[in-house]
Amino acid sequence: MPRMTEAAASIRKRHGSPMSLVGPDHPAADAGKTLEVRDLDHTYSVNGKTTQALKDIAFDVSAGRFLSIVGPSGCGKSSLLMMLAGLLTPSEGVIAVGGRPLTKPDPTRVGVVFQDASLFPWLTARRNVEFPLFLRGVDKALRREKAEEALALVGLERFADSLPHELSGGMKQRVSIARGLVQDPPILLMDEPFAALDEQTRITMGDELLRIWEKARKTIVFVTHGLSEAIYLSDEVLVLSGRPGRILDRVVIDLPRPRSLDMMAQPRFAELREAIWHMIKA
Amino acid sequence: MAYDQSVTQVPRGRDASAGMSLETKARICRYAIIAAVIAAWEIVPRLGLVPRLFLPSLSSTLAVLAAQSGDFAIQMLVTLQEVAMALVFACGFGILFGLWVGSTLTVRKALLPVVSALFAVPLVVLYPLFTAWFGIGSASKVVFASVYGLLPTVLGTAAGAQTIDRQLTQAARSMGATRLQQILWVTLPASVPTVLASFRLGGALVIVGVVVAEMMMSSAGIGFLLSKYRTQLNSPGVFAAIILILALAIGFDLAVQAIERRWTAGGGRNKAARRPADMS
Ligand SMILES: Nc1ncnc2c1ncn2[C@@H]1O[C@H](COP(=O)(O)OP(=O)(O)OP(=O)(O)O)[C@@H](O)[C@H]1O
Ligand SMILES: [Mg+2]
Repeated sequence: MPRMTEAAASIRKRHGSPMSLVGPDHPAADAGKTLEVRDLDHTYSVNGKTTQALKDIAFDVSAGRFLSIVGPSGCGKSSLLMMLAGLLTPSEGVIAVGGRPLTKPDPTRVGVVFQDASLFPWLTARRNVEFPLFLRGVDKALRREKAEEALALVGLERFADSLPHELSGGMKQRVSIARGLVQDPPILLMDEPFAALDEQTRITMGDELLRIWEKARKTIVFVTHGLSEAIYLSDEVLVLSGRPGRILDRVVIDLPRPRSLDMMAQPRFAELREAIWHMIKA
Repeated sequence: MAYDQSVTQVPRGRDASAGMSLETKARICRYAIIAAVIAAWEIVPRLGLVPRLFLPSLSSTLAVLAAQSGDFAIQMLVTLQEVAMALVFACGFGILFGLWVGSTLTVRKALLPVVSALFAVPLVVLYPLFTAWFGIGSASKVVFASVYGLLPTVLGTAAGAQTIDRQLTQAARSMGATRLQQILWVTLPASVPTVLASFRLGGALVIVGVVVAEMMMSSAGIGFLLSKYRTQLNSPGVFAAIILILALAIGFDLAVQAIERRWTAGGGRNKAARRPADMS
């Protein structure tokens, strides 16, 4: 990916607006499927007290990759994800999605799935999924069609008319994923989406997510506390240091796909886990 | 799937029969008390235990109500109109303002203490001013009752809006919701329970405000009628007016309660029971 990244960066430098040169036929238009983070720093200041949360963060994610972010608690993983979602403005640095800077939430470019699903309790599953389309004034019939498509993708078409409290934790998360995917954004961000689930459900949901990811051909950025989960799911794992979070390494997970549970017993899995564990501990 | 089955295994609600019998007992008790009060109202004055001037029997009160039903109806209509208008002002503005104050941090910090302080002012003593400004017709009642019901509504709604799950607003923001969309489609529905509670409180105060204002200085309305009968020492008339005012207040309360129940029942037990079993 460095070629594309350089192209996008140099375009940005010369013209300010990268879109002006990147037409649909231009090779760099392929960059529409990537996420780029450059020279990102973030410092919180609350009542004059400052906390540096992130330092010198730079990475990019190629289209269709599954990237996990791991790191000690409080190292700024959630903050980073909020910035990638356009929900939080970094103190320094640039985030670009599809070659264009991202300065505010844009559900057509980035979908977000939160830890506790964050479904609106007064809306049915279908209406929850329709919500982002409703906000943009998409007409009713199309809204319904898209929502049903998304619900079918996560295997919940039969629960379209259920309210969130009638669904199990795993089902809620699947609705939340459908909601993130309904506008077909190239990138899906997930902040510890399965942390609140029990072990067995978490594993089921992991497999489910991989199935959805392969089918929908998305780029996923996945924040987690679980090293095994990160290795099991990802193509690459970004390892952050303790606060202020810096990138310690980017570990390529060279396990074959499709992944299966017995891979966790393989020596390569243990090796990778060990390596990442040592980085974080140090 | 295993995790879906586990949900269906969770027992839903408490033991139905035990819950029911307690409910039923409480209901029977409630009706018994009401029946006793009604019976006492009829029997005590008839036995001469209380002078009829202080407490006319229920039947004589109802007789007056029936005989002068046209008169009562006209005055009641005036009161109803005033209450309806004041409700729109007090609860409409009160709820919108409360939502805004409650969901905006800076506004909350700046305004909430002021609003709370105003709450302590005894507004009734200001009523003569309202009649000076707006006359003794309906306008002064509506304005007075609106102001009277406004502050508690604002405070109640603001407190509710403040506690709304921030995650929900953040989720909406991630989906590209504008500030206005967040208030309309997230803050507002999320605060429906609080809003209804505030509406119930505000509405009760609006009714009090209108009736008290009519009793003090006015030319029409059920409160006016009550005052008039009192000066005429027409006890059955006074009590008939009281019955109507009580009916108005209780009717309003029951109506809002019914809406509250519908809202919570929308996602309540009956619906959960209809949920199809997961066989996927
Ligand atoms: N809104 C905020 N205001 C001030 N400081 C904050 C805020 N949000 C986060 N922080 C601080 O920034 C640091 C990073 O927080 P963040 O939530 O991003 O970490 P995290 O890696 O997601 O942690 P965890 O693994 O526990 O979820 C923490 O020290 C936290 O206290
Ligand atoms: Mg976090």
